[in-house]
Amino acid sequence: MELKFLIVDDSMTMRRIVINSLRNLGYSNFVEAGDGKEALEKLGADNTINFIITDWNMPVFSGLDLIKAIRSDTKVAHIPVLMVTTRGIKEDIIEALKAKVNNYIVKPFTPHILKEKIEQILAIAS
Amino acid sequence: MKKATNLSELFEKLDDLKSVFKYGEKLIPVIQGLVDFMRDTVPLLENINSSISESTSKIPKATNQIHNITSATELATTEILDIIDIISNDISVAEEAISSLIKIEKEKEVILGEIKTLTGGNLEVAVLFERYEKINKVNPVLTPLTELFEKIRSNVYNITLSLQVQDITAQQLAAVNHLIESVQEKLSSLVIDFEVTNVSVLDSSAIQVPLNTTFDPNARYSKSVDQQDAADELVKDHQSRTSQDEIDKLFS
Repeated sequence: MELKFLIVDDSMTMRRIVINSLRNLGYSNFVEAGDGKEALEKLGADNTINFIITDWNMPVFSGLDLIKAIRSDTKVAHIPVLMVTTRGIKEDIIEALKAKVNNYIVKPFTPHILKEKIEQILAIAS
Repeated sequence: MKKATNLSELFEKLDDLKSVFKYGEKLIPVIQGLVDFMRDTVPLLENINSSISESTSKIPKATNQIHNITSATELATTEILDIIDIISNDISVAEEAISSLIKIEKEKEVILGEIKTLTGGNLEVAVLFERYEKINKVNPVLTPLTELFEKIRSNVYNITLSLQVQDITAQQLAAVNHLIESVQEKLSSLVIDFEVTNVSVLDSSAIQVPLNTTFDPNARYSKSVDQQDAADELVKDHQSRTSQDEIDKLFS
């Protein structure tokens, strides 16, 4: 199954870096969103999105709010979510896990970590 | 008799009054000193007030400058990423060209081999072939070139990854900006208090970063894997507990 990623980050720089990294890993299908609200709109409009990579700190609607919204919507609740954020303190990670994030990367990330986390998520999902 | 008592009471009161006047005489210089001190303090307080006003008025400029720094670094990072994309595309074009050259060279080798077989008996042709092969060995040059391009591509990609620093510093600057704005709020309230002659103390401990922010005040650019390792541990622990919960649910 081909993966179609939704990359959610308010920083255009970060979105480009994540997309570049995914391209290097051999993926080629991406959709972008600048915050959680836009991400939900994109998810509603495109039912082929099957993997979400999101930041935490974003205006309007944070990454954490996005995960909670996704998990409470039966249409999209099954989509795996990988959080890529600067928030590395224990309490934050636990909060994200309680919101049912699938995996967690602390910025700055390396391609090796990104690959590893995507593969782990896909392995559990299958 | 009563008149005598009244007079003695009157004299007692007059003595008391005299004592009060005497004490007042002593107190007057002290009060005068206090008034003089207050008179001297007022310009000092006004000076402090105007200094605070001046500092407070400069804060918006500082926050604007910080915001401008963030915008400038974001723009510069975007430009660097654009250039990196161009370099990456150029590398791809060069790699494709080298790859087709290697293919052509391999085909040439096959054709030359066939010609060699056909003209096997001719010594002069064999010498010519030898000379030709000596000056036409392209593959040993092309192979390290391919490796070099691969190295350049990897280095360019590493630059891309290092640009994550822009996002991290942008969050750090946003946190600084927020703190400056909080200080400004406190200073402004202090100036207002001065104006109503109630001097209040600036409570710096009250300046706090709100929980619902769009930046991480603890953001840092570090190559250390400690935080990622800690995150991995928590995820692993959570996943194993979740799996156990699912098993428990099945058997309950």
